[in-house]
Amino acid sequence: MTRETAAPVPVRSVHGRTVRARPNNAMPPTHRNLGLTSPWHVGALAAVAAAALVLGVSSMTRVDPRQLGGFGLVQALPPSYFVALALSLAGFVASLSLRRLIPALLTWQILVAVIILHGPDPIIHGLPRLEASFRHLGIVDNIVQSGQLDANLDAYFNWPGFFSLLGMLSAAAGVEDLVGIATWAPVGVNVLLLAPLLALAKPLTANPRHAWAAVWLFYLTSWVGQDYLAPQAYSFVLMLALLACLLSVFNGWAWPAGRNRFSAWLARTVSRLDGPVPRQGILEPSRANAAILVVACALVLVAMTVSHQLTPFAVIPILAAFLLTGRLRLRFLPVLAVVVPVGWLLFAASAYVQGHFAQLFGSFGDVGANTFGVLSDRVSGSAEHRFVVYARLAEVALVWGLAVVGAIAGYKRKVPWLTAAAGALAPLVLIPAQPYGGELLLRVYLFSLPFAACLAVLPLLSVKTAGLALQRALGLLLIGSVLAATSVVTRYGNDGMESFSDDEIAVVNHLYSTAPTGSILIEAVRNTPWKSQHYADYDYRALVAGEPSSTAATFSCEAANQIARNSGAYLIVTESQREAVDLRGATSPEDLEQSIARCGTSPGWTKVYENAGGVIFHIEGVSNGK
Amino acid sequence: MANERNYVSYATATVAVAAIPLSFFGPGDLRLAVIGLLMLAGPGTALVLLLRLDPPRSVQATGALPLSIAIAIAFSLAMSTLVATAMVYARLWSPPAGVCLLSAATLGLLGFELKRSRRALAGAK
Repeated sequence: MTRETAAPVPVRSVHGRTVRARPNNAMPPTHRNLGLTSPWHVGALAAVAAAALVLGVSSMTRVDPRQLGGFGLVQALPPSYFVALALSLAGFVASLSLRRLIPALLTWQILVAVIILHGPDPIIHGLPRLEASFRHLGIVDNIVQSGQLDANLDAYFNWPGFFSLLGMLSAAAGVEDLVGIATWAPVGVNVLLLAPLLALAKPLTANPRHAWAAVWLFYLTSWVGQDYLAPQAYSFVLMLALLACLLSVFNGWAWPAGRNRFSAWLARTVSRLDGPVPRQGILEPSRANAAILVVACALVLVAMTVSHQLTPFAVIPILAAFLLTGRLRLRFLPVLAVVVPVGWLLFAASAYVQGHFAQLFGSFGDVGANTFGVLSDRVSGSAEHRFVVYARLAEVALVWGLAVVGAIAGYKRKVPWLTAAAGALAPLVLIPAQPYGGELLLRVYLFSLPFAACLAVLPLLSVKTAGLALQRALGLLLIGSVLAATSVVTRYGNDGMESFSDDEIAVVNHLYSTAPTGSILIEAVRNTPWKSQHYADYDYRALVAGEPSSTAATFSCEAANQIARNSGAYLIVTESQREAVDLRGATSPEDLEQSIARCGTSPGWTKVYENAGGVIFHIEGVSNGK
Repeated sequence: MANERNYVSYATATVAVAAIPLSFFGPGDLRLAVIGLLMLAGPGTALVLLLRLDPPRSVQATGALPLSIAIAIAFSLAMSTLVATAMVYARLWSPPAGVCLLSAATLGLLGFELKRSRRALAGAK
């Protein structure tokens, strides 16, 4: 692996003083005057990361998932986990402080940080995170079994790209069970993000040190957890690779600067505000190669469109931002980025759009409802849950605050900042569109994070390219430690309801083995690790929504009896459902327990199965159930 | 550098060729590893080799490895997604055929790369 530098290294004497090299009295090259790091120094830094990895993984394997409390995983993690995290952070900062960067060493340090920060779910629980992971596995299973799409089943089948991809992998490899892939998806997705993130950060920052620091900061602050086995995680990888390719290969103004008054004004304004366009990461391929890359970018855009509803629409404002800051010379690509997803909505997903028009466009333009309305719904539930939500808001505020300071620092130092700032702000354009099931703010934060991270590191690093002063290194370590520790709380604060146990899986499996195909299956609260099989074979219902809302129903025997009135039904109540109620406050946990106990003894209700993970009831209908 | 390119070309070709029989039969874990690798990086790696994205080493321009990896992954995943989605929409669901198509695309791009290398070599002589 080559070593990276962005400027000639001054020749220094062994005493650290700069000396003038004399042609007739040339000094023999040493590691120091070449700016190289001695092998034992590199080895020691790599060993620190290895020690952090071993300590981190061994700490995670010692965690008892039953000790998860209201604050999530942070209560169950032993102190040695945080020692491992601190070692990893210090190792990265020390590696970043070397006079010449060693990409292999920095990659190793970041991979260790990724496993320590994003590996707890697979290592501790050994099961996929979030009930949506199980649902997604069920959609893949449905496609594999039928080889077709039932667009009327639900919205997923109108954007089937990601599921078809997994279906092809599963069927061609003859592997029916993709639970292992779903379990390790958070680590895998973050590892896959590394190259696109670095490729994107390079043309957005002044030198490689800034780019590496930005990537590191992204991982420390990526708490939103959209890295499970899901179309959004997949599309995010494609999006970052697409943006990196466009910035690196098609950099420049899309029109001549003096073409009209607007373009002249724009070019003047950008050159006055921004630093010079960085050369690092910028490529100039031949015309033929550039044409091939345009086709490749278009294919990536189409693949993203067929896989996820939101991500292609996030790309549009970001491309517009690149265009207006003189960093994208392909004028037609933003147009294509509009035409492809809109065309998909109108033609391929038209059935879904017609059936959900009010849901899709009902709150268009209502910024208040899509921001404060969603936030007020989120800040609810138990005191611990509210603390976690406030911690998330504080972390977002800190990252965006650092990004603002970084933008100001970039402007003052005349280093590139404008495109990163425009890229960070561009996803905010999505806010007036719709609340996206209350998740839009999370997604906006994620879309803006790669750009915000490039800005946030600016005040923490010097413009000089060789080495990192002690004060700046300590500052970077301090900020990194605060953000990483906060992320352990913000990312895993809901772990009680987002993770599942083997007992819960056993309850679900028993339900499938008991209930005949076509039965109505009711979950007391919408948070069950089911549907990973038999996605279309049963009639799935939920009594209480997972999210609190003013119109949300509360659990009652009557509601369950009403659903089971004709043909009977099976009701499943699991531990993670109870956790969801407790954390989010969709209904009172005590009321839920009392209602279930009362319902269980009422006529027509029979307890079918029970273990530590949950309970199944059969409710008889008029026709004596199925 | 040329050696590195050759090794990557051979490895990519091996994965592409091995994926064809493995999409029909073979041990489950091996099939998952090889076909997974092909879908994750096969056609994209061949494309990146064809494009030769590495800029000349200079003071400012550092290696294009991250971008090459990003393009390799994104293009491979995009191709795999489009092939799988097209099969589902066309009601021609046949995963082994999809894998064979991806292998053919990978080998085709590698063939172009080989042809280009030979032409460049002949030009240099």
